[in-house]
Amino acid sequence: MTMKLINVAFRNISRNRRRSLLSGIAVAVASMSIVFLFALVQGMKDDMGRNLATYFTGEVRIRNAQYEEYERYNPMHLTVDWESIDRALAQREDVTAYVPRVTFPSAFYVNGGNHPALGLGADFAREAEFQDLESILKEGRIPEAGKNEMLIGALLARDLKLALGDKVTIISSTAARGNNAITLEVAGIAAFPVASMNSQYFWIPLDRAQYFLRMDTGVQEVLVKVEEHERKSAAAIKEQLEAATGMQLDVKAYQDISMIYGFIELAQYIYYFIGIFFLLLGSTVIINTTMMVIYERMREIGTLSALGMHGKELTKLFFLEGTVISAIGAFFGVLLGTAITLYLGKFGINFTDALSGIDMEISSVLYPSFSIWTAIIVYIYSVVVSSLATLIPSRKASRIEPVEALRYI
Amino acid sequence: MKRRIIMSILFALITIASLSAITAEEIVRKMDETETFATSYSEGAIITTDRFGVKTSTFKAWSRGAYDSLIEFTSVAERGQKVLRTSGELYLFYPDAQELIRLQGAALRQSMLGSDISYEDMTGEKDTLAQYDVKLLRQERVGERNCHVLQFDAKTRTVAYPMQVVWVDTETYMVWKGEFSTKTGRLLKEMLVLETMVVDGRTLPKVTRIADKMKRDSATEMRLDRLEIDVNLDPAIFSLQNLTW
Repeated sequence: MTMKLINVAFRNISRNRRRSLLSGIAVAVASMSIVFLFALVQGMKDDMGRNLATYFTGEVRIRNAQYEEYERYNPMHLTVDWESIDRALAQREDVTAYVPRVTFPSAFYVNGGNHPALGLGADFAREAEFQDLESILKEGRIPEAGKNEMLIGALLARDLKLALGDKVTIISSTAARGNNAITLEVAGIAAFPVASMNSQYFWIPLDRAQYFLRMDTGVQEVLVKVEEHERKSAAAIKEQLEAATGMQLDVKAYQDISMIYGFIELAQYIYYFIGIFFLLLGSTVIINTTMMVIYERMREIGTLSALGMHGKELTKLFFLEGTVISAIGAFFGVLLGTAITLYLGKFGINFTDALSGIDMEISSVLYPSFSIWTAIIVYIYSVVVSSLATLIPSRKASRIEPVEALRYI
Repeated sequence: MKRRIIMSILFALITIASLSAITAEEIVRKMDETETFATSYSEGAIITTDRFGVKTSTFKAWSRGAYDSLIEFTSVAERGQKVLRTSGELYLFYPDAQELIRLQGAALRQSMLGSDISYEDMTGEKDTLAQYDVKLLRQERVGERNCHVLQFDAKTRTVAYPMQVVWVDTETYMVWKGEFSTKTGRLLKEMLVLETMVVDGRTLPKVTRIADKMKRDSATEMRLDRLEIDVNLDPAIFSLQNLTW
């Protein structure tokens, strides 16, 4: 009996091609959008994780325990002892790379006015093990230790009209809680992938930052890359370093540092629900067309009922029609979504203009991240939600009295 | 005879009354005169106490009249940094910077070395009557001293504090206390002289406490360890060329 119903369902689908096509397209568009949306959110999350780990926090960040409490006061004097941390981290097998950093708010003194920017003191020799700065160099070279030189973000250089070889004076607060100014030469211009780093940051040799900011040998933070399980490693590193240095330290995994990363993790769950609504919206087309089919085929329903077809079987017939349309629509939708995701995953989506001036650790060019499991789940999810949606009009068919239906003859 | 005595008493009373009816402008003029020297040289310290502890910066300072002043910091963290005020402009010199930094507008109100004192407080011009309308409010005691209480209302927008209330000693014309506010009366800064010294017959502040009310748990004491007035100074000391040497 079920096989017969399936055959009838297919026949009906092909009989009403335009309507079936319309319903199928609605499900396909919804499925395609969900595949792409999920891939984009995953891409954003992966990108942000990469940027946080490379530029801002490392996978694990080590700071003075008091720093976060006073962060809004720019407490440059709350440093950590780099030498003892270096010694301790060198012994850990789960640590793959680590770098000392000093980030300091400052102002460029240009044409008699102050332009706010963020300075970053880095040990460029060590940074080579941590990230590939050379690959993002647009012009010039990486600054050399001991020299008053800077590597500047391309957008910041453009805004301040600075070119290679130009000298500019920066002013900042020091660890001695005073002020200082130093003149630096632009040695390199870098196109950082992160919009905020590109438009706000300049990098200087760590030794010059320590001298300029009166930090002696202290550093503001140490960024660490670990093999896996960042949170677990952070706890173990904290225990070891506090014992080794006798200092109270703030050691955190990157997932626990960035509020925006937390939001993206939350957004991923929210998008699962948004996906359901997308499909429900797509399903309204199926509901609508199925309803129309039922009214148009009232004579047929009356004949089938008069010939002894039960209400449940009629429901099953229309439900099967909806399921077949959903399955075919979702298949093509997921296929198209996958193709778009793979294409944009290779060439990226440029958000440079939209993200300029936004202080987020996200790249200007985003690459959606495709996952076969996501595609399979979205397909199943699309078929189930759309099919269930056809149950509403299908149940109506079962409630039609044969006598009432035969009046349409 | 009786009539002559009455006339004499009346004359004496009128004279005393006219002497005591000193105007607000006269008080301010005398106050500025007390604070202004033909030339001066001083050494001292700025001691800032905030949530992170106590920080001391030492300095040497030179001044000429009401408009020129130069401060050079001598403490380790700031050694060689200079602040010059001349011709109505304020310049900063940092040993590692290849150019002078000219402060203007709101930048003049920035904290100097993280203290409660702004660059403008430290080097501000001492021509109060040109900048403010003054009003004598009352007389009041600050500690053991009788003071005129004066209110200054800014004539222009270029001054750091649109309204000031100051307590000026009735005898020495030294300012014992000051409250510096916005136009609407919001308190921005408070100043109180804790110790005085007498130099060349003038009573001057030796230790002054300044609290920026916009900062929490912060106060600064400015201490003068040495003050010489009417000293011989090379006029070039207040030039931009001298600053970069």
